[in-house]
Amino acid sequence: MTQPFLSIRNLRKTFGAIVAVHDVTLEIPRGEFLTFLGPSGSGKSTTLYAIAGFQDPSSGDVQLEGKSLLAVPSHKRNIGMVFQRYTLFPHLTVAENVAFPLRVRRRPEAEVKKKVADMLALVRLESFATRLPGALSGGQQQRVALARALAYDPPILLMDEPLSALDKKLREEIQGEIRRIHRETGVTILYVTHDQEEALHLSDRIALFRDGRIEQTGSGEDLYLRPATDFVAGFIGNSNFLAAEHLDTTDGTATIRLADGSVISGVRANGTFGNGQKTRLMIRPEAFGMERSPASAELNVEIVDVAFYGERRRIVARTAAGEGVDIRPTSAAMPSQDVSPCSRQVFFDPAAAFLFPA
Amino acid sequence: MSVETRQSPPTFRMPAGFNGLLPALILIVLFFVVPVLALLLRSVTEPEPGLQNYAALLGDGTYARVFFNTFLVASVVTIVTVLVAFPVAWMLAIMPSALASIVFGVIILSMWTNLLTRTYAWMVLLQRTGVINRTLMAAGIIDQPLPLINNLTGVTIGMVYIMLPFMILPLVGTLRAIDPMTLRAAALCGASPFQAFRRILLPLSLPGVAAGGLMVFVMSLGYFVTPALLGGTSNMMLAEMIAQMIQSLLNWGLGSAAAFILLVVTMALYALQLRLVGARRMSGGI
Repeated sequence: MTQPFLSIRNLRKTFGAIVAVHDVTLEIPRGEFLTFLGPSGSGKSTTLYAIAGFQDPSSGDVQLEGKSLLAVPSHKRNIGMVFQRYTLFPHLTVAENVAFPLRVRRRPEAEVKKKVADMLALVRLESFATRLPGALSGGQQQRVALARALAYDPPILLMDEPLSALDKKLREEIQGEIRRIHRETGVTILYVTHDQEEALHLSDRIALFRDGRIEQTGSGEDLYLRPATDFVAGFIGNSNFLAAEHLDTTDGTATIRLADGSVISGVRANGTFGNGQKTRLMIRPEAFGMERSPASAELNVEIVDVAFYGERRRIVARTAAGEGVDIRPTSAAMPSQDVSPCSRQVFFDPAAAFLFPA
Repeated sequence: MSVETRQSPPTFRMPAGFNGLLPALILIVLFFVVPVLALLLRSVTEPEPGLQNYAALLGDGTYARVFFNTFLVASVVTIVTVLVAFPVAWMLAIMPSALASIVFGVIILSMWTNLLTRTYAWMVLLQRTGVINRTLMAAGIIDQPLPLINNLTGVTIGMVYIMLPFMILPLVGTLRAIDPMTLRAAALCGASPFQAFRRILLPLSLPGVAAGGLMVFVMSLGYFVTPALLGGTSNMMLAEMIAQMIQSLLNWGLGSAAAFILLVVTMALYALQLRLVGARRMSGGI
C-alpha cells in the first residue's frame, strides 16, 4: 500500500473534562482539497490546530509523509495557514507581508522579490504591493494572507474559516479564487467551514464532523446522495423526516409504513432494523414530483402554502398524520394553476428515500 | 415655503469644553507658568543682568559632570525599566483578565505606598550590612559585600522599582491591542519565537515603549529623593544640585538657570517624541 501524504491517526484532544476531539482518523492524499465541515464546537478547528501545532493533541498522531509532526514546533512545520481573522502584520506593506516567510528563511533577495511578485500576481493584487494592510478591504486582506501562506511553497495549506468575515458576494468571488489557486498550485488544502454550500462548492472531499468525531467522509455528492447517518442527511442540504414503522428489509431495500398508514416499499435502509421498529424516513424536498412515474411512491398531503422562488417553488404541506413536509418542485413541474391550497398526492422515487433509526 | 437663512455674524467662540478646563488652567498659570517665568527672570538677573549663569553652568566641568550624570542615570534607568517591564506587560496582556486585575492591583498598590518609605526600604536591603549582602555572604556566593548603595547601581535599582508602573501601564495597553493570532501566523510563516518578537511584536509595541520610555526618562531627569538617598556624592544629579544651590548656597540665579535648562531639555524631548510617533501615525503604521 502506498503511504498516505498526510495522515491523522486516532487524534484526541481534551480540555479538562471537555472532549473537543474524540477520535479522528483521516488519510489525505497529496493535492487533495479536503474540507472539515461541521457545526461550531464539533472539533474541526481543534483538529486543524493540532496539524498547525498550536495545540498538542492529548493522544494520537499527525504524520506527514510517514513522519510524525507532533515533536516539530509550529515554525518548523513548513505549513501555510490562512486564519479566520485578519492576521496580516499591520506595520508591514502587502509586499513585505508576503516576503516575511521568505525573509525569516533568509532566502536571497532576488528570489524574495521574484516570489513576492509571483504570489501577488497569483492573487491578482500586484498594484497593492506598497499598501499597508489597514488600507485594504477584508477580501483583499484575505487574498494577501493567502499569498503569504503560499509564498514558501508549503506542502499543506490550512484554512480556518477564511471567508466567514466577508459578505456573501465577496465570499463567492474568493471561493472562485481559491479553486483556481488550488488548481494552479496543486497544494494540498485542508479547509474548515461550517457553511455546507462553501464545502460542496470547493472540496474534492468533505469530512463531516459532529461532537468531536467524523460522521462521514466522502465527496459532496456522496454526502448528499448517500448520507450515512440522519445527521449527515440533516446537515447537508434540506431534508424531511417522517416517522415510519419498519416492516421488512431485503437486499438493503426496506418496506415501511408511514404514520398515515400508507405502505411504501423499495426505500434504502441505512442499517439493520427489526420488524416493527420505529424508524425515520428521509426525503429531500426536491425529490418530490408532481407527476406519477412507474417507480414512484405516493404521499397524500394537504398543501398549506406555496411560494415562488424563481427556478423552484416552495410548498409547505402536511401529511394526514400532521407532519410538516417541505416540497420544492421545479417551477416548470408545477404550473401556476396548481398552486392553490388543496389536498393532493405528491410522488417520490423510493430509491431516493433513506431509512434511519428513530 | 420660507426658511429663515439669516446667518449669525461670525463671533469668536471658545472651543467646546473650554469652560471645564478653566479651573485647572488658572491653577497652572498661577502656580506653574508664573513661577517658571519668575525663575527665568531670576536666572538672567541675579546677581546681575546677563547670561553669566548659563555660561557658568554650560562652561564649567563640574556642572557638566552633573548634567552628564543626570542623563546617564535617566538613560540607564529607562533602558533597565523597559527591559524589566516588557515581559511583565506581555504576561499581563495575555493572562486571563481576572488574574491580570490582581497583578494590576499589586502594581498600583506599590504606587500608593509612600515614596520615602520605599526608598528607605531599599537602603535597608542594599547597604553593606543589608539583607541582600548578608544573604549572599551567608550562602557563600560572595565573600566581600557588594557595593550596592551610594552609587549608580543603587540609584538604578531604586528608581527602576519606582518607575516600573509608569512603563508597564502604557505598554500593556499597546500589547493588548496586538492580536495574538498575528504571532501564531508569524510562527507558521516560519518565524522562530525570537524572529516573531523582533520583527512583529517589538515593532508593533514600539508606540507603547516610546510613550512609557519618555515618561520614565523625563521623570528620572528631575528625580530627587531616590538619587539623594541611594546615590553617592560622586554621581550627583541635577535636581540635587539645584536644591543645593538654592538651599545651601542661596545662589538663586545659578539654581534657576539649571532648573530652566532641565525644563527646556524635557520639553524638547517631548516635542521630539510627538514628532516621531506622530509621523509614524501619519504614514498609517502603528
